[in-house]
Amino acid sequence: MTAGETATVDFSLQIQAVVMEDLVATGYGTQERLAITGSVATIDAPEANVGVITNVNQMIDGRVSGVRITQNSGEPGSGQQIRIRGGNSINASSSPLYVIDGIAVSNAQTEADGIGIGGSAGLPRSPLNLLNPSDIETITILKDASATAIYGSRASNGVVLITTKKGAPGDVSMEFNAYVAGGSAANSLDVLNGNEYRQFVQDQVSAGNLDPSRLAGLGTANTDWENEVTRSSLTQNYDLVFSGGIQAARFRASLNYMDQEGILLNNGLQRIQGRLNATFSAFDDILNMDLRLTSSHNENKYVSVQNAGGFEGDLLQNMVVFNPTQPVTVTNPDTGEEEFYELGPGRQSVRNPVAIAEQLQDEASTSRTLASLNIGLNLLPSLTAQLVGGVDRSGSNRRTYLPRESAIGAEWEGRALQQERDRTDITFQGTLNWDQSFGEDHRLDVVGGFETLDSDLRTFSAEARGFATDAFSFSNLSGGNIRPIVESRLEEIRLLSGFGRANYSFKDRYFVTGVYRYDGSSNFGAGNKWSSFPAISASWRISEEGFMADGPFSELRLRGGWGLQGNPAVPPYSSLITLEPGDDYVFGESSITGVNATQNANPDLKWERTEQISAALDFGFMDNRLAFTLEGYVKNTKDLLLEVTVPQPAAVGTRLENIGKVKNTGFEFSFDHVAVDNSSVTWSYGLVFDLNRNEVVDLGIQSFIANGGVSGQGQSGQNAQRILPGHPIGTFWGPEFVGVDEQGRQLFNQYEVQRDADGNEIGRTLIGTTLVPGGDDKTVIGDATPDFGLGLNSRLTWGKLDASFLMVSEVGQDVLNNTALVYSTKSNVLQDKNFLKSALDDPIGIAEPAIFSDLWIEDGSYFRLQNLTVGYSFRFGSNALRAYVAADNLFVITGYSGYDPQVFTGSDTGRNSAGGAGVGLGRSTPGLDYLSYPRARTILFGINFGI
Amino acid sequence: MKKPGSRFSVRAAGRGPLTLLLLLPVLAVSQGCSLDENPVSVITPDNFFQNEEEVLAGLAGAYAPLRALMEDFLIMGEATTDEIIVPTRGQDWFDNGRWIELYQHTWTANSPAGLDDTNSAWEGFFGGVTDANIMLSGLEGVTVADQEIIVAELRTLRALYYYSLMDLFGGVPIVTEPVIVARPRPTRAELFNFLEQELTAARNDLPTSWPSNFNGRMTRGAADAILASMYLNAEVFTGEVSAGGLQPGQARWQDAIDAAERVINSGVYSLATDWVSIFTADNHLSPEPILVVKHLNQSGLGWNFNMRTLHYNQISPSPWNGWSTLAETYNKFDQDDLREDIFLVGPQVNLDTGEPVDERGGAPLVYGDINDIFQANESEGIRIYKWPADADRVQTDNSNDVALYRLAEMYLIQAEALNELGNTAAAVDLVNIIRDERT
Repeated sequence: MTAGETATVDFSLQIQAVVMEDLVATGYGTQERLAITGSVATIDAPEANVGVITNVNQMIDGRVSGVRITQNSGEPGSGQQIRIRGGNSINASSSPLYVIDGIAVSNAQTEADGIGIGGSAGLPRSPLNLLNPSDIETITILKDASATAIYGSRASNGVVLITTKKGAPGDVSMEFNAYVAGGSAANSLDVLNGNEYRQFVQDQVSAGNLDPSRLAGLGTANTDWENEVTRSSLTQNYDLVFSGGIQAARFRASLNYMDQEGILLNNGLQRIQGRLNATFSAFDDILNMDLRLTSSHNENKYVSVQNAGGFEGDLLQNMVVFNPTQPVTVTNPDTGEEEFYELGPGRQSVRNPVAIAEQLQDEASTSRTLASLNIGLNLLPSLTAQLVGGVDRSGSNRRTYLPRESAIGAEWEGRALQQERDRTDITFQGTLNWDQSFGEDHRLDVVGGFETLDSDLRTFSAEARGFATDAFSFSNLSGGNIRPIVESRLEEIRLLSGFGRANYSFKDRYFVTGVYRYDGSSNFGAGNKWSSFPAISASWRISEEGFMADGPFSELRLRGGWGLQGNPAVPPYSSLITLEPGDDYVFGESSITGVNATQNANPDLKWERTEQISAALDFGFMDNRLAFTLEGYVKNTKDLLLEVTVPQPAAVGTRLENIGKVKNTGFEFSFDHVAVDNSSVTWSYGLVFDLNRNEVVDLGIQSFIANGGVSGQGQSGQNAQRILPGHPIGTFWGPEFVGVDEQGRQLFNQYEVQRDADGNEIGRTLIGTTLVPGGDDKTVIGDATPDFGLGLNSRLTWGKLDASFLMVSEVGQDVLNNTALVYSTKSNVLQDKNFLKSALDDPIGIAEPAIFSDLWIEDGSYFRLQNLTVGYSFRFGSNALRAYVAADNLFVITGYSGYDPQVFTGSDTGRNSAGGAGVGLGRSTPGLDYLSYPRARTILFGINFGI
Repeated sequence: MKKPGSRFSVRAAGRGPLTLLLLLPVLAVSQGCSLDENPVSVITPDNFFQNEEEVLAGLAGAYAPLRALMEDFLIMGEATTDEIIVPTRGQDWFDNGRWIELYQHTWTANSPAGLDDTNSAWEGFFGGVTDANIMLSGLEGVTVADQEIIVAELRTLRALYYYSLMDLFGGVPIVTEPVIVARPRPTRAELFNFLEQELTAARNDLPTSWPSNFNGRMTRGAADAILASMYLNAEVFTGEVSAGGLQPGQARWQDAIDAAERVINSGVYSLATDWVSIFTADNHLSPEPILVVKHLNQSGLGWNFNMRTLHYNQISPSPWNGWSTLAETYNKFDQDDLREDIFLVGPQVNLDTGEPVDERGGAPLVYGDINDIFQANESEGIRIYKWPADADRVQTDNSNDVALYRLAEMYLIQAEALNELGNTAAAVDLVNIIRDERT
């Protein structure tokens, strides 16, 4: 849009999801698309902002090849795992770097930690909920080493560049968007109902399999606990935007309010967010200033849903096992008041799930402000200087109270916690950009600069127990007479960088790009803080050659590149031996604060590095109405940051070392076709396809790393996966189920393993069956990584009508149905607990424990209709109104028997972050279904109105 | 954003001052380009152990592993015998098959119990060794009050951790500095000799007793008790194991008698008349213990053995209903033996209220023998209730101290050694000293 043009809001939609606009953000500047030599994909954000979208990751899903997104759960505002071209790392984070308008922002959690009840706390919600998706203009994904190299040290997992909308000169315009959405659980678990449970117990008692005393545990009710704890949820979202200005001063201001209810009782997400983008130019555009300010406040309300299941369980686990013959509430004979039914007074390990949802109080207020000022100076026609300063500030207060009257809080006579998390990242950048043409044919574009980042994270938590009353809730910790925990912590990180990039082009036909970045991070050992990260790439637009003039191609381009990047994603102070208070001891009859070592020193700790080679072919026909891209890559990660076992004596069993190698090889394909494009009808569709092969090449002296702890009663110490050289991350490892013996006891294959002198397995012989599978009886029983992924999208406009859909699919991955493992077991009835109906059909005996084996590994392939949208546009004068109906998660085609085959567990966003990828020593554990928050199926109705 | 090739009418006047803006970030950065780390919420050994309070905190940190190690030692030392068995109870306690493996002695290097319990004990005890080593190295070059005592205390504590390692694993690397490097294993006899030297040297600097506010710290009696225990088993520890079995090392019966005698004659300890009082929550008052693992009824500092053994409904908070004893073990005790009372068998009562207690299904709770270790029900298995619940416990934390050595064992060590030397009559007299004292 140029100055003076009337600004009208136009809701007619773009043709292609992946835009082919001229200028593309490439980090510290933009580049013409045709000149880009690396692998870069751009998403038109308004087009991808369909359905209930709370953060930017959801807009990427299924729209770019080579990028896999896994939603952590169906919880409102839940985080996502995003993997660009496979995961490189095991202990360090595999999340990409996020850059919003030129400022790298942390993807580490912003919320204060919660507490787990009989398991680990639920995963934090997405730190990217701060940014209203409606404010995003474009999302650019940098995939290969040559594209990401300018971000050097932090870029080994790819980069997501987010550009927000700015004001355009012209008349002031106003835009109002609103939707309301109704959600309900997309799937249900099939447990015994009250009558079936009563019948089962009576039959088993009659058959002599069950002690007659079990009959006493039967009530007269018929309660569908899943129905009792789920609800129809309502989500509302409103955006108000106004923008405009003159050439020298422009602005765009927006306000967003979102209120999303979860489909489980008593939880949700409320967001209020304001955003201002202001641009100012002076001295004939010699001075340009951009001010960007985003401030968001989220009110999070939680129900007790654990990340990794756990022993006694949260709301969902009790929903499955709580006795269906018992009522939700009973009348207290003494007081005459209705109260929640529990198995008894005081603490109970099996708890009424409705009471869990209604009684436990857990909420967090999280604010995040992102402010940046960008000063550009056109020093010479070909020379531009830029200075950028940015502040990313977040603060969160989490408040939890487990009331004394609840079956869980009774254990502590009320337990209250307040936890705070407060972080500040301050960035400075300075760049100089020189762009000069030499004659008609040559052009050189050079950018050089420096960047600094100072990050600090403060946490604080306090806890009180032993309350005389529930009246204080979490609001007065002095109401409890025991205050066992007061903790605080400060961590500081600094990154310093210098970088340069040169693009050279000849006749707009041959392009070469060289990048060099030199980075220092405070997190590493004294002599290893600095490292350099080079990359080089080139492209050849064959279609511009004379000999191609008459060919069928409107575009034919060959690209290739090589580069090296780093991963600084280790917690600060990782190289030092650290002493901490916390391990107290008793002398006499009082406790003495104990200080001892909590971490082993590793002065040699250094950057994990990934080397990537990639090649690509772009070709298009019919003026690129039919466009294809084929890409292939090999990524080798070395000096892998790995938590390895150390020789004893040592303060703790492991330390972080640079040992090991991981390899990712992949192929990506995408095409877009504008099938119809005339005055009344446009129709386009696109497909993205990717496959990635991951292999752990080397783990140093370790022969494997146990991973993926199984959750539930009787599962202590049981791991479902091993990270094994020669196999991908996510390899399931366990015994092979054969059948049962006469007593209904589970039998597993028993092997005799032959080993070489070094103890490596060289063969195995099946020698029979066993009741207790030992070490040699376990083997590879599955793989959680998909064979390939697919995304399919289509858009149609027909006069005033528009329609679009997005389908996503992953094929070939295995999932451990931990839910079925521990709940598809008849022996639950020995403790008056319900179980999944599927257990009635298996031969496993009523006294058998749940034993992990390949029986519980299922194919997790799925095909999901992610979104379907139909809209109609009206126009009156310069005003426009579009009304639309959309559906999210309308159906999933899958053979998987749990809630949803797309599962994730584990902590990938860790303690602190170097302004980008989450940092922590969590391990990625794909493919474990711990019965997480179920996903909703959502129908929404919305309007876009503009004047 | 750059605009390639665009041509501006340049106004030179505006440019000079603006260029100064370039200096802004340089100024901001010049505050410090250092990437050194100066942690404030954690400490490094270089700047600790400088004064009495810091030394006490370090000592507490070095003793603290003892508490957790009770579990490792119980699992490796008792759950592998007929004293403790953990049967699978329906959905509970299968735990990857590790308890069954421990009971059946089928663990291997890569089996569940091998990976879990063996590793945990190996790393745990060595963690204690490391805590002592870090502090001993930190104390070099500084001067603090009672330095000789502190050093002797840490060497004795380290020897105690090593003794457990020698007991469980044989010869393990002897390391006295906080440096992580793979080292060859010495023979068990070499480790034995090292520990003998350490304890013999350290005992002279240790006090015979501490004021009551330091009860639980290493004493000369503790060092002698460890020595007595080591000497009694010297034949095994200094022997050689080959395919043909154990080739016993040199017996040290007289050394065992002498070390035990030093404890008995120290005048610090006496036999408790009330046997139960050695195990109750106020057992810090008992005159008998020589070396204990200290516990307190505070979060994370207490003894929770009862949680492992008792039925869900038998005490508050609800225990885990796991560990039991085999009937064969229980039956070995004479009905008149005071020690037989530590077993819970037959109809049960709530230990808080004394009222009869039911199973979760409503039937009366009656502890009995285990029929099938793979499919035990919730009431099967005789339970150990050796450490009576602390009436003032806080949740699962009871303040009962757990004795590693007490005076009665010194008499028994002497008795056993005398018997080995052929003086059975004297041995019987020593055993009867204990029997006569108990009521």
